[in-house]
Amino acid sequence: MKIVVAIKQVPVRDTNVRIDASGKWIDEADLEFEINEPDAYALEEALQLKDEHGGEVIALCAGPEHAGSMIREALAKGADRAIHIECDDLGSLDTLGVAQRLAAAVKAENPDLILTGLQSDDLGLGQTGVVMAELLGIPHSTIIMHVAVDGAAIKVKRELEDGWFQQIEMPLPALLTIQSGIHRLRYATLMGIKKAKTKEVKKLTPAELGAAPAAAITVERIYAPEKKKQTQILKGSPQETAAQLVEKLKYEVRVI
Amino acid sequence: MSVPIHLPAPAAIALALAVPEYAEPAHFSAVSMAVLALLIVVSAVLFWSRFGKVVKVLRQAKPDADFSLHPVGKRVWDFFREVICQSKVIQERPIPGLAHAFVFWGFLAFALVSLNHFATGFNLGFLSSHGVFGEFYFYFAAVFALMVTVGITWLFIRRFFLRPKWLGAKLSYESGVIAGLIFLLMATYLAGFFTPPGSAAALALWWVHALTILVFLPLIPHTKHLHLMLAPFTIFLSRGEFSRIPPLVGDEDFGLVTGRDITKLAALQAYSCVECGRCTEHCPANNTGKELNPKQIVLGLRGFLNDLGPGSEEPVVDGKHETLTSIFQCTTCGACEYQCPVGIEHVPLIVGMRRGTVNTGVWEDEYGGKLFNTLERNGNALGMSAMERDKFIQKEELPIFDGTQEYCLWLGCMGAYDPQGREIVASFAKVMRHMDASFGVLKKERCTGDPVRRLGNDLLFQTLAEQNIENIQKQNVKKIVTICPHCVRTMAKDWQEFGGVTAEIEHHSEFMARHQHLLPQTGSDETIVYHDPCYLGRYRGSYEEAREVLARSGKVVNPPRSHERSFCCGAGGGLVFLGEEQGDRVSHTRARELTATGAKIVGAACPFCNTMFRDALAATSDAPPQLLDIAQIAARSIEGEGATPDA
Amino acid sequence: MSGVLVVLEHRNGAWARMSWEAIAAAGQLAQICGGNVYTAALGGELGALSAEAASHGGAKLHTLEHAQLAQYTPEGYTLALEELIRKHQPAWVVFAHTYRTRDFAPRLATRFQQVLIADVISLRGEDGAPVFVRQMMQGKLNADYRKTGDGPGFVSVQAGAFREEVSSSTAAIEPFAVTLDAGQIRTKPGEPFRESAQTVDLGAASLIVSVGRGIKEQDNIPVVQELADALGAELAASRPICDNGWLPMERQVGSSGQTVAPKLYLAVGISGAIQHLVGMKGSKSIVAINKDENAPIFEVADYGIVGDLFEIVPALTEAVRKAKGA
Repeated sequence: MKIVVAIKQVPVRDTNVRIDASGKWIDEADLEFEINEPDAYALEEALQLKDEHGGEVIALCAGPEHAGSMIREALAKGADRAIHIECDDLGSLDTLGVAQRLAAAVKAENPDLILTGLQSDDLGLGQTGVVMAELLGIPHSTIIMHVAVDGAAIKVKRELEDGWFQQIEMPLPALLTIQSGIHRLRYATLMGIKKAKTKEVKKLTPAELGAAPAAAITVERIYAPEKKKQTQILKGSPQETAAQLVEKLKYEVRVI
Repeated sequence: MSVPIHLPAPAAIALALAVPEYAEPAHFSAVSMAVLALLIVVSAVLFWSRFGKVVKVLRQAKPDADFSLHPVGKRVWDFFREVICQSKVIQERPIPGLAHAFVFWGFLAFALVSLNHFATGFNLGFLSSHGVFGEFYFYFAAVFALMVTVGITWLFIRRFFLRPKWLGAKLSYESGVIAGLIFLLMATYLAGFFTPPGSAAALALWWVHALTILVFLPLIPHTKHLHLMLAPFTIFLSRGEFSRIPPLVGDEDFGLVTGRDITKLAALQAYSCVECGRCTEHCPANNTGKELNPKQIVLGLRGFLNDLGPGSEEPVVDGKHETLTSIFQCTTCGACEYQCPVGIEHVPLIVGMRRGTVNTGVWEDEYGGKLFNTLERNGNALGMSAMERDKFIQKEELPIFDGTQEYCLWLGCMGAYDPQGREIVASFAKVMRHMDASFGVLKKERCTGDPVRRLGNDLLFQTLAEQNIENIQKQNVKKIVTICPHCVRTMAKDWQEFGGVTAEIEHHSEFMARHQHLLPQTGSDETIVYHDPCYLGRYRGSYEEAREVLARSGKVVNPPRSHERSFCCGAGGGLVFLGEEQGDRVSHTRARELTATGAKIVGAACPFCNTMFRDALAATSDAPPQLLDIAQIAARSIEGEGATPDA
Repeated sequence: MSGVLVVLEHRNGAWARMSWEAIAAAGQLAQICGGNVYTAALGGELGALSAEAASHGGAKLHTLEHAQLAQYTPEGYTLALEELIRKHQPAWVVFAHTYRTRDFAPRLATRFQQVLIADVISLRGEDGAPVFVRQMMQGKLNADYRKTGDGPGFVSVQAGAFREEVSSSTAAIEPFAVTLDAGQIRTKPGEPFRESAQTVDLGAASLIVSVGRGIKEQDNIPVVQELADALGAELAASRPICDNGWLPMERQVGSSGQTVAPKLYLAVGISGAIQHLVGMKGSKSIVAINKDENAPIFEVADYGIVGDLFEIVPALTEAVRKAKGA
């Protein structure tokens, strides 16, 4: 089974991000990056499928040079080789533009299965995988918790809202977006990182993958949201505080 | 020996006649010499049949790449103390230790006597009871013979009748045989003083004594008495410092993975074990019902070497000789290593096996995996956002280090994120300000790598160490002070594998002790029980500094196990991050000891100990003592509240 | 090219409340760019659902009924809506940002060479064109998005971002015949199911009420159990509670227990030792009730009540019951 996992490098969660001079993107100087968390689970799922069924796992990434560290880590964890579309212009592309690049790179590999995380921790649009499936003309499913391979078809468990799930069958090749937290992630090991040194990383340029279409949507400006209040201490008698809290739970937390 | 004077007359006369000198057989015939030579050869062959194998294993084992005899002076001193003076043997178990020392010193004294004994068998004896030196030496040896007799008798009684549990449930009959042989050696020697020279009885005694030695010799390598041959070397050739974790060498070194990774020192130590059980007796894991038994770790390695040899490609942690469960129950407190009388270094061995299983991905553990991923991602073991650290720094108004301050105050993960740890940092900052010491904190810190170092994740440790080293060197830091003994150890020692930092590193107890004259002497007689953190005490040898600081605020008392024998809190070795313990909690056992001293306050000097005891003290007592770090106690004295603690 | 089309969503025979919020968003959008609001409902046979949907407003309700739409599939929805959009050419298509929308809307947008502006929290008009606000970097930043280029725009709105409005008008129901055949649909969906809850899985719980040392004795546990029941939450605890055996170990949250990230974590009588905080700091919303105003738990809490839990919790249970009953 040949599996491509599309992974993305994003700024480390919970870092203090600053807005750059253009006002349209974050200042990347001084920023640390890591693998997008849902993508880490997609990679893990791919590696487990390989452990079970054999085959090959190819890590695919579009991003600047510094994404190389993430690619090495994916190789250290067990991916067999990688494709790095080296580009600094992701900020000027919309999802369709990025997905087109990725899809063009995938096409040449002709994999049985494509996995990616259900969304990115930075933009959070959650569409790249689905758009790739459309561009490649293959079936897809999203927010997947479990994958069972049965010959030329797969049966997946998809998460629905409110604790509901659904089994879905589809023929291969197919694309799945993987839910975070579905596995225990393996850790990168010293042995893995040493083995990774000998693994192939194919570098592609955007030009080799065809011209990107004009962006359909653009970011006009980014800014810090109005400061959320810190801890709101509710005051009053027990009955009063209880009533205030129920209001919050109903309209702000939205759990009642 | 002069004639005893207070004996009843007939006995005195009998002794005076019979025992003026050590009796030797007059002359040995050629046949007798041939028989003796044959017996010596047989004994030597039997001896080598086993000892040769051990030597072969030691020769085959991988060399220790970082081994250096330097500093020789320390090695000679350690040898003198631990081997010649038997310091570790006696220190921990004074009575059996002294008994053992008697036997050992007796053996040394007997070396010349024994040599002469066999020389005599070939009519080449060089000691004569008629010569001045010979006469002296026979009497001199006799004194030792008496000591050995007493010693070995006591050890025999202890092993076979008192039976302390650390010697294991199974009686060691070979020890009984050995004790019998030693006893026989001494008896036959002493009896020589009561036998007429040249008599048939003297000849018989001579042969019994010689045969005893010839039987004893091959038994040495076949039993744990192999330590007679090896332990002096083991002690002399130690890794040079406490619990030193050797660097990995080359691209194929992942720690102790297979037999091929067992180094000469590890093999030498494995064969030196005398199975005394001191390590197990002091092991916090073993004492709280866990599988880990440090003695078994050593014997497991010996078993592996015996069964599969040092060239084996089989994994050392194979579930039979060594188990994953055991090696990951170790808190790396080092109590075992500290106690070991034959120089075995348990912690590097256990960490070596952890490295072997972690660096190759064999170890799978929910909490461990989470810890590694968290550290990779957040750079702190608690998985908190660096923004939280920034907020804390702002709130406490801690200055940012800019190269102008004398000290860099290293917060550590606990100091930056743990609410209790933060209180400690805040208190220590207050103390530093009171002492007019200029300090700043780094804008960014990552975990020093302590937990992953001890858990054997070299990839992550290297990453964290290198990032920190680069950051610290860039900032031109000259002096680092921190509240965490684990940070101190890791920065000062473990980082050396990757170049280390040029800054001096000290623990806040040491800083405060140096400036203790600036702390108020409250004169309070409030009792403070001080818990020695493993990484400050055994690892760093720093015992008195914290006590001196505490003594300015109250009366320092010690729990039953203190100083070098301090009992771990259970947090070390990365275990604080590995989920629930099997058996009792180490922290509860220690908390009970601390509470039982009746002290008002528990003085801690490590944020990990602190966090462990917080729960443990409350869980084990209805009215537990108050738990404070030494910095908090010092800060309180400064505020003038020392006498009236707020509960 | 005009008007705003809202794609409504129903599950298990009932409309998702978020669909009405999407209609409200579409209303705002229509005010900026002109045109009417239309709605679309898809299904096998919609039956009474159509009338209910029509009552929530819009000029027209397109009903797309087809056997291949009886169960949701991304292909079925994409094909059917593609046909509708090509026919009616709305300027904007609006969805509620649900799991289903996330599953098919990007695919649908791609067919028009468009990109879905997903999970929008607000919108406004600037120079006669809409600007959409969505969150980035896990809510640390907001971003203003605009559509460039031609063709219909696609937008999904976040739950709770727009307040549902009571409609005074009823939409005219207009069936739309879709051409679909089974061969076009490659994914075969199974019936939705719930997991049988044999063991406690705090990790999957969306609401957690957690109790700490402040509860004092085992006999007091029912006080918080009742609150958990009223909220429909799982009961969890800090380590000392499980150590004492007052609740089973599997309910322990923290470094030696489980790591949880529910929508609501309500900590009762928990001071917030680091071992506990690391297990629950990822929760979306944290409420703390503790008598010590300096307890570290308040540092991570969104809402705090300082006071006696034995007075506050029963009052809260009562208030929750009342709110749910209403």
